[in-house]
Amino acid sequence: MKMRATIWIMILLVLACAGWVNVDNYFRPTPVAFNIPKGWPQPVYDFKSNPLTREGIALGRELFYDGRLSKDGNFSCGSCHQQFGAFNSYDHNLSHGFNNSLTTRNAPGLFNLAWQKEFMWDGGINHLDLQPLAPMTAANEMAETIENIIRKLKADKNYRQKFRSAFGDETINTQRITRALSQFVLTLVSSNSKYDRVMRGEDTFILPEKLGYEIFKKKCTSCHTEPFFTDFSYRNTGLTSDPYLKDDGRMKITGKSADSLKFRVPSLRNVGRTFPYGHDGRFFSLLQVFEHYRKTMTVMPNTDSLLRNRLPLSNFEIGQLTAFLYTLTDSVFLKDPRFGPPGSENNDKPPVDFHP
Amino acid sequence: MKLIASMFCLLLLAGWRSPEPGGIVLRFENRAGNEVLIPGNTYVLRNGDTVTPYRFKYYISRIKAVSGDGRSVSLSDEHYLIDAADSASQVIALKDPGFPVAMISFVIGVDSIRNVSGVQTGALDPLHGMFWTWNSGYVMAKLEGSSPASHIAGRQFTYHVGGYRDENNTTRTVQLHLPDGMNQQNITVIADINAWFSGKNKIRISSTPVCHSPGELAMQLADNYSTMFSIARP
Ligand code: HEC
Ligand code: HEC
Repeated sequence: MKMRATIWIMILLVLACAGWVNVDNYFRPTPVAFNIPKGWPQPVYDFKSNPLTREGIALGRELFYDGRLSKDGNFSCGSCHQQFGAFNSYDHNLSHGFNNSLTTRNAPGLFNLAWQKEFMWDGGINHLDLQPLAPMTAANEMAETIENIIRKLKADKNYRQKFRSAFGDETINTQRITRALSQFVLTLVSSNSKYDRVMRGEDTFILPEKLGYEIFKKKCTSCHTEPFFTDFSYRNTGLTSDPYLKDDGRMKITGKSADSLKFRVPSLRNVGRTFPYGHDGRFFSLLQVFEHYRKTMTVMPNTDSLLRNRLPLSNFEIGQLTAFLYTLTDSVFLKDPRFGPPGSENNDKPPVDFHP
Repeated sequence: MKLIASMFCLLLLAGWRSPEPGGIVLRFENRAGNEVLIPGNTYVLRNGDTVTPYRFKYYISRIKAVSGDGRSVSLSDEHYLIDAADSASQVIALKDPGFPVAMISFVIGVDSIRNVSGVQTGALDPLHGMFWTWNSGYVMAKLEGSSPASHIAGRQFTYHVGGYRDENNTTRTVQLHLPDGMNQQNITVIADINAWFSGKNKIRISSTPVCHSPGELAMQLADNYSTMFSIARP
């Protein structure tokens, strides 16, 4: 009799364990491989701590386009980072935030973030997962508190379910929100411009593009280094401080006067789409940027040594360089249906090749 | 058969964690001089300034016990956020060091690695408002309030002390000797805000009401508050 009872207890225990495995722990989100374009270095993002999964990317995409991450519901990440502008604020020197405010810097395009160690024009943010916290809580951007965002998401059954599919249970916390956002923005890889096709031997430059590339390699690559078209360093390129924005750049982070007015070298991928240019969007065209380099720049004590005599460029060179820079437009990326607001992938129009 | 069944039960029990017998309970008591600090109340500091603190929070980590003959054992790998407004945060249950304790040591602040590893959870979740979003890094300790001595809007003072990089690293190690013969399992650590102003560096609210970034002032405040702790005598 005693024996039977023991056996029954054991069977029940085994069943309970099996049930536990089945209900909660059997489930695994679908892993997604991160493809490194041929010839590119290893990414710096630590994918081991936040492995890409189909469910995680889908959740991040939904969050990226959800206005509820802002105080009044109007400002999603996607409202300032627009796909047709390679995820910059298209045609805006500064972006619009909560309560008719403006950001103090130009929103850069978002792509190839897995290879970037520091974020923002001054490099103040040291991890991609931390980046969303800045716009979410800034009074002139999304103006919301993290607690409120978590509260809103927890109240939504759809999100509870999606956090569960992405991370195994319904817990919604700061870490999971930011990791999901990272997963989505990490998939924004831009590596299919005409330049890339030429490098892979699948296409050829026309003459002005070819000449432009030669000039570029002589005058620009020490800062705008291939394949990212930036070496991720901070440099003073002789842009005087805007009297209203009073932006000291890198110095704000390091506290060192040698870093005054240094800003990160921006990537030039998709530069045909990411106007206006410069950290405060003061240049409305490439031509204005070239005029700055060759004429209007103010050489300061800590202006980059490569620019001590400004950067002489002839009109001819400017024409060729412009032709080359337009080959960096990645029309596949700009139209990739996986990157638009959720639901937009049902649009069955294939991406159209776009050469301005 | 019985044996197997009892082993099952043991396994189940092992999954439960009960407070360890012989463990140490460390209690933080925040004060302004001899008075217990309650956010919103007004106190007179040793330097003569009158203050009404609103917020007083700091991170404690790397808690260790050291024996009379110099053996040292880590009591926890966690970070704790002590908040003057939340009494539950002020009590930390730790494991049994296994020897009579002569000294307790801990770090006030957050390990540098946690400042560069993305978004953390628990006490280190950025939603506690102890994280700089525009210049990544933890605020190691924070003291905010108002004072008639302040000449800025709202007569406020706000000291957010942080910085994890080399020369601006604001973590500080604190070592506190236990008086002889005191209860080893219930240790009360007093934190007196006077030290923020009247430590090695003299900080006056009238001239320096704000610290919001890593740098020299943050380092001076950290040096000061590293001396704010003492062990309460029974
Ligand atoms: C109000 C407009 C606005 C909103 C909303 C916004 N951003 Fe931004 N974003 C910017 C601006 C402006 C910058 C550049 C800031 C700087 O350098 O100081 C930026 C920078 C970034 C960067 C760094 C890029 C780089 O190369 O350094 C990332 C990543 C980013 N944003 C992602 C996001 C995510 C994710 C969200 C949603 C949680 C978001 N942004 C919401 C305007 C916005
Ligand atoms: C000494 C390093 C350096 C060199 C050389 C250099 N650049 Fe730049 N470039 C920068 C930096 C830094 C910025 C950002 C400046 C700012 O906004 O503060 C920039 C900005 C730009 C921008 C604006 C991009 C945007 O999205 O805002 C363009 C376009 C550009 N450079 C093109 C070129 C070209 C073409 C050359 C060669 C003729 C060149 N640069 C040479 C460092 C350099």
